[in-house]
Amino acid sequence: MSFLELAGIQKSFGPVQVVHDFDMTIEKGEFVSFLGPSGCGKTTVLRMIAGFETPSGGTIKINGKNQESLKPNQRNIGMVFQAYALFPNMTVHDNVAFGLKIAGMNKAAVDARVKEMLGLIHLGHLADRFPYQMSGGQQQRVALARALAPKPQVLLLDEPLSALDAKIRVSLREEIRMIQQQLGITTVFVTHDQEEALSISDRIVVMNSGRADQIGTPFDIYNKPATRFVASFVGTLNLIEATVVDPASNRISIGDQAITLREPLGPVKAGDTVSLALRPEAGSIAESAKGDTALTGQVVSSNFLGSVIRTRMKVGDPVISFDMFNAPGLSPPAVGDVVTLRFTASDLLIIRE
Amino acid sequence: MKTQKIGAWIAVLFGASYFIIPLIATFEFSLRMRRGEYSFDAYRSVFSDVQFRESFSYSIVMAILTIVFGILLVVPTAYWVRLRLPQMRPFVEFITLMPLVIPAIVIVFGYLRLYNSSSFIPFTGSARGTDLLLMFSFMTLSLPYMYRSVDTAMRTIDVATLTEAAQSLGASWPTIMFKCIFPNVMSGVLSGAFITFAIVIGEFTMPSLLNRPAFGPYLQLIGANRAYEPPALAIIAFAITWASMALLQLVSRFSKSAPSKP
Amino acid sequence: MSAKQAIDLKKTAIDWLGILPFLLFAVMFLIAPTLYLVTGAFLNPAGEFTFDNISGLFTDKILASYWISIRVSLASSLGGAFIGFFLAWAVVLGGLPSWIRSSLLTFSGVASNFAGVPLAFAFLATLGRTGLVTLLLRDWFGINLYATGFNLLSFIGLTITYMYFQIPLMVLIITPALDGLKKEWREAAEILGATNTQYWLKVALPILFPSILGTTLLLFANSFGAIATAYSLTGSTFNIVPIQLYAQIRGDVLHNPNLGYALALGMIVITGISNLIYIWLRMRAERWQK
Repeated sequence: MSFLELAGIQKSFGPVQVVHDFDMTIEKGEFVSFLGPSGCGKTTVLRMIAGFETPSGGTIKINGKNQESLKPNQRNIGMVFQAYALFPNMTVHDNVAFGLKIAGMNKAAVDARVKEMLGLIHLGHLADRFPYQMSGGQQQRVALARALAPKPQVLLLDEPLSALDAKIRVSLREEIRMIQQQLGITTVFVTHDQEEALSISDRIVVMNSGRADQIGTPFDIYNKPATRFVASFVGTLNLIEATVVDPASNRISIGDQAITLREPLGPVKAGDTVSLALRPEAGSIAESAKGDTALTGQVVSSNFLGSVIRTRMKVGDPVISFDMFNAPGLSPPAVGDVVTLRFTASDLLIIRE
Repeated sequence: MKTQKIGAWIAVLFGASYFIIPLIATFEFSLRMRRGEYSFDAYRSVFSDVQFRESFSYSIVMAILTIVFGILLVVPTAYWVRLRLPQMRPFVEFITLMPLVIPAIVIVFGYLRLYNSSSFIPFTGSARGTDLLLMFSFMTLSLPYMYRSVDTAMRTIDVATLTEAAQSLGASWPTIMFKCIFPNVMSGVLSGAFITFAIVIGEFTMPSLLNRPAFGPYLQLIGANRAYEPPALAIIAFAITWASMALLQLVSRFSKSAPSKP
Repeated sequence: MSAKQAIDLKKTAIDWLGILPFLLFAVMFLIAPTLYLVTGAFLNPAGEFTFDNISGLFTDKILASYWISIRVSLASSLGGAFIGFFLAWAVVLGGLPSWIRSSLLTFSGVASNFAGVPLAFAFLATLGRTGLVTLLLRDWFGINLYATGFNLLSFIGLTITYMYFQIPLMVLIITPALDGLKKEWREAAEILGATNTQYWLKVALPILFPSILGTTLLLFANSFGAIATAYSLTGSTFNIVPIQLYAQIRGDVLHNPNLGYALALGMIVITGISNLIYIWLRMRAERWQK
């Protein structure tokens, strides 16, 4: 039995249905991210788990127990909000102690637990500060400690990093993941940032207009996107329109060059158009590169992005981007050069709607 | 959630009846002048009263003078404090809030002793002098409201940059003041002006103790001697206050959409 | 060097010249009159220093007038703050239609300025001996309001009247503060196990405390200095301090001009103390604010 079960969740605000038939089971200690653009319903699902919204249909179970009749303050859930939401009239210590005092813990036990939590986030020395005296990153760590202090059965994180600077965002997400693994707490993390989701999750749910498009490990989501939406939302991707040459032998053509796919094309006929996806990092133009397939094209632009150089080449009509790692002594392709990109045919995915 | 909404409705209904019943009652009372039927006789009587017209126009003139001189005092001061003497802001703000702490009757008591006909500045020695003193006392009363609304308006424009821009184009100080600063804080000036107007029209203590024929003392006099005119006057006074506040709202709404215009 | 000093000096002089009109105004019409009264309170008619005027305040009649003034001001400011707070709460957090909020705020802007003589007329027409409510209670419910001991020209009557401008003033000042309560604070408290009551007691009210207290003290000072409403309601029969002082200014009813100064000083001290309490409590409550 899974720890957190969402079955057939529906949610409508008036005539607008924002969540459709959402099913998901989360194991104890698992870190799951809800990833999607704003308005896809990910925050609504999170708020239904917390109890701030009531589902229009479906059931939510935590540890086998139906949550419907429980108010948010009866669910024993920890939550971290996007805008920190620390109580401004309380010190760091009092903020973290809030849930413990409400639970009726005695003072000595409260103080010990607060000390432990502040140690966990390395802010023990700031216990007497007020929220306004701290940076955003520090405030969000305190909010995390506050949420974890009463030992909740589930931790919900609602875009906790999106108000922070890029650098803090990376370090704090690593810290969150470390603490989560240390405590083994079941966690649901909502984000619109695919890099964030990929880097810290056990599993990712990619959400699109109120539905779960794909549920899988970061590796699966990135390498085997199930829908065109997942493919385009997660990572950078070439979407290539190709023409079917011979369905029986999986032959298709990109621009004027014919290649053979590994995956069966399915029920199409010659002359049909199919969409293919290719990650920019899948191929290489080095002479020595391995690969059973090659495409030749003319370079139209080449941009230096630091660790990689992203080059775009024209193969007939379609334009294909590919990345090469930066190295001293490397001479990037120049505009107008003709290059050959080698890759494995199985990297070329067929995108079905 | 449900009980909360019921509680909210109860609060609003209670508040509404507290506010509206006295108005209805006042209006009803003001119509009772003719025995046995409702009529507007009380209003007719008020409007035909020479003293009403005289005291009312006296108060309006005083209100306008107070507003003009109040603006001339407050706008340059608020501007100068923001531009050149930011360290004086707490002090100036404290002074402008003093009239909220010291009761009006105490302040005017001080005037009467300090500026009587035998003092070195004998404001109360002549009628014109007393009018002048009364205007200054109205300015004092409205100072907290005037200063606040002007200062708030100045916070939204960058006074220093505006001044430097004007200076770099060769503008003189009067030009900067009247062509750059005033138009930009007009919304604040106007809202201060309407509150001042409402205060001056109804003020009783100061003109009464200074013995000037203003609207406030007139109201009190009528109240002590007549039965049906006072409620009619209360309705008129309420309408005037309402009009000032409506104009104030209109101005603040208008000025919120105005800055985009060149 | 000296030339530069001279320029600096000139610049400073110009800086100060800019607010000279204001300083002059403040000295002439606020500071000097107040100081004159304050010093006068410690002088006898011959101009010698004395505490006689201050001790002269401690007669039954004057103490009674201070006491009734403080009671009316306290009652009307606490009542106004309490009711005003609930009204503001109702329109901000009570889930009412938005037109109620805008009407209440507009009306409050008017009603908070509707004080003085006309307000007295309005309440005479409402709760006076022939006022509409008095008559309706008698005719519809058979309640004779004045037989129950109620009198508009009394502590309770004056308090009810003053609350007509106190409540809207509270609504105007406290509504923005209630708007400033973030939805996330409530949700954070709730998910940490707090009930609605616990949220209000431990989070919302402590956050609002400085504003509520500050406004209440402002309301106190507001009604403590008010005279016009009481004077036209009751004539000079109801001895609150401002009416006492008014009579003293008009006709030296205390037969000692310097005792009048002491009376004024007492008023300044009381409104001053209420402000000091406010500043002190606010500083304590605002440790967590920027």
